[in-house]
Amino acid sequence: MDLALTDEQKGRKQEFYDVCKELEKRRPPKFLGFETIYEDDKCWEYNLHCAQEFAKKGWLALGWPPEHGGKGDMMDRVLFAEARGYYGIPGVDIFGVQMLAPTLLQAASEEIKKEFLPPIARGEVMWCELWSEPNAGSDLASLSTTAIKKGDEYVINGQKTWNTGAHRADWGFGVFKTDPAAKKHHNMTFILLDMKTPGITIRPIPYLDGHAPYCEVYFDDVHVPAKNIVGQEHEGWAVVNLLAGFERSGINEIMTMIRGLEDLVEFCNKTKRHGQPLARNPLVRNRLAEVACQLEAARALAYRVADLQNRNEMSLMDASAGKIFFSELGERFAFLATDILGPYGQVKTSRWAPLDGVWERIFHEHFITTVSMGTNEIQRNIIAWYGLGLPRMR
Amino acid sequence: MDLRFTETQEILKKMARDFLTTECPKTLVRKLEQSTEGYSPEVWKKMAELGWMGLIIPEEYGGMGYTFQDLVVLLEEIGRNILPGPLIPTITSTFPILEAGTEEQKKELLPKIAQGELILTTALLEGEGVFDASGINVKATPKGNDFVINGTKLFVEMAHVASHILCVTRTKDGASPEKGITLFIVDSKTPGISCEVMPTTAADKLCEVRFKDVSVPKKSILGKVDEGWPVVEMMLRKGAIAKCAESIGAIETCVEMTVAYSKERVQYERSIGSFQALQHKMADMWTTMETSRFLVYEVAWMESEGLPCAKEASMAKAYVNEVYKDVSKWAVRLHGAIATSADHDIPLYYRRSKAADIAFGNTDFHREIVAQKMGLV
Repeated sequence: MDLALTDEQKGRKQEFYDVCKELEKRRPPKFLGFETIYEDDKCWEYNLHCAQEFAKKGWLALGWPPEHGGKGDMMDRVLFAEARGYYGIPGVDIFGVQMLAPTLLQAASEEIKKEFLPPIARGEVMWCELWSEPNAGSDLASLSTTAIKKGDEYVINGQKTWNTGAHRADWGFGVFKTDPAAKKHHNMTFILLDMKTPGITIRPIPYLDGHAPYCEVYFDDVHVPAKNIVGQEHEGWAVVNLLAGFERSGINEIMTMIRGLEDLVEFCNKTKRHGQPLARNPLVRNRLAEVACQLEAARALAYRVADLQNRNEMSLMDASAGKIFFSELGERFAFLATDILGPYGQVKTSRWAPLDGVWERIFHEHFITTVSMGTNEIQRNIIAWYGLGLPRMR
Repeated sequence: MDLRFTETQEILKKMARDFLTTECPKTLVRKLEQSTEGYSPEVWKKMAELGWMGLIIPEEYGGMGYTFQDLVVLLEEIGRNILPGPLIPTITSTFPILEAGTEEQKKELLPKIAQGELILTTALLEGEGVFDASGINVKATPKGNDFVINGTKLFVEMAHVASHILCVTRTKDGASPEKGITLFIVDSKTPGISCEVMPTTAADKLCEVRFKDVSVPKKSILGKVDEGWPVVEMMLRKGAIAKCAESIGAIETCVEMTVAYSKERVQYERSIGSFQALQHKMADMWTTMETSRFLVYEVAWMESEGLPCAKEASMAKAYVNEVYKDVSKWAVRLHGAIATSADHDIPLYYRRSKAADIAFGNTDFHREIVAQKMGLV
């Protein structure tokens, strides 16, 4: 057991932190966490600016093979995610950089890699995900949007939903039914498409707090070049599973919470209640300490996942456990923080809101982590079935 | 970064597992719970031959010279089999000797500890049952070349069979409770000491130890007079990590037993492990086990490297305390009625989860340390 970083890693970590700390200073006033980039023009510009800064340093291609312009290794990715999480810096497209790029590297043809990887590394093209449908959520394989091959094109018809940032994205990747006669899991293809293709209609979906980071995307005879596929035709399910396997360790989200806790401690130290600092309230102390312990446990498990991924070892069970744990910790933390803030815990960003109203926002936003990327209930199935070897539901 | 065990640790783990499976069946655990001694001198002797009491004692004092991390690996195995006896009190009482003992004390005691000839324990808690210095009221007063100890200690693990008791005493009423604390290494056969086993949840032989005009020579002072509290803090920190390691082994066993049973037990013509209501609970048990494990490994690594880790050690203890109780509780629940029987093995773990929670500081004690270290005023 050795958790030490090498001197080189320490140096790179410092650089990641320094750059993110600088970028934090340019944060627009409405920027309150990752989801806001999709909601506000200034926040989106900030996202693009950060992407450019990272691209210049080659940090959007961390861990890629050198022949595709890669730099550093998986551990650098973890350290970079840590720094971005701590300072809450966007600029790393979760769909393009974090999900699609590793999928392309493993499953795409050389031609596709050469066409699509460089713009991702340069931070030029932003992506969205086109997976879920109104009747295909956790049971994604039951999807019904079709992409029927006609000559050297696919023609797509149907509807996708819960597409985060689709209205901002340049390109989208998704799975579509290409062989409606074939059986489930062998009837779909993983397709890349330009979001400006005629026939695509994008409508924002108001999230429960009224903001709109999500969209639904309608396809009406959308023509896509047939060459833009990843993996084998009709075998897109394998690519979906591969992509889902690139679970993130969660370190980014955990570091954001650790920073949130630091800010909350400062707030409790300088805010007086009953004639003394809120920090002196034994209940506040106990409950904040409880969250701190759980955050440290979450961080330790994130390193475990990263350590396994570094050595290309199977991390499915730990990645699912990590996702369950840090996302539900996010819920508990949001409840606790808005509780500690008292009546102010309900105030949206305004002159009355403590800590820029960030906790009021997180009170709504935490569902994004528990529900997306495979609901936590699906993650529990993964642990039970693939990890503990319990009988699969039929 | 590499979170895998070293080769030495893998060997130690395998050796411990094999040994405990053979030498410490649950029939023995039950027998020892009922016995007066609470441990098996035969097993103790064999463990000494394996070098366990001397694992972290440097080779120059007759020990194995292993690291704190290695100790964690061993204790995890001890926890899997819930071996009763004075191993943990002996090892944790060795920490203050290693850190604060004089060369003479080390030369006299450490080789004998490593040989398994001595059983040590630490007498810290008193009537209030609190872990901070304000709870220390047992007095040690100078008299000629000796000190005289008076008062009652409680919850002293295995004191009834201990050869030596590390007694935490108050030698001065200082400006703060932490000032004026002195540790003594007391031969338990010294006149004036009496001992009585308390009936406890885990039947782990916690004792009341009464000191009535107990004269101890000055040379038995461990560390500095009036300045013993930092040594106690160090012992609580290392003891907390050690206890966490033991708990992880126990948690792991609870998860394994529950998963295995749910695959065998048939109701409604199918194994109960096929029901999602149970599957998700077991996934949660596994998840909290895994978070505990890597938190404890992280802290053990810090302790081994000599990095400051008071906050992290308290985080681990406060966290694992709750996980062990929760996982062992769910282990009983998912087994159903069968695991509410005294003959079942799961209750052995459930009962020990309470003992583990209290040893070296309960959850609220450690959360308060975390609160201070995280900067709350």
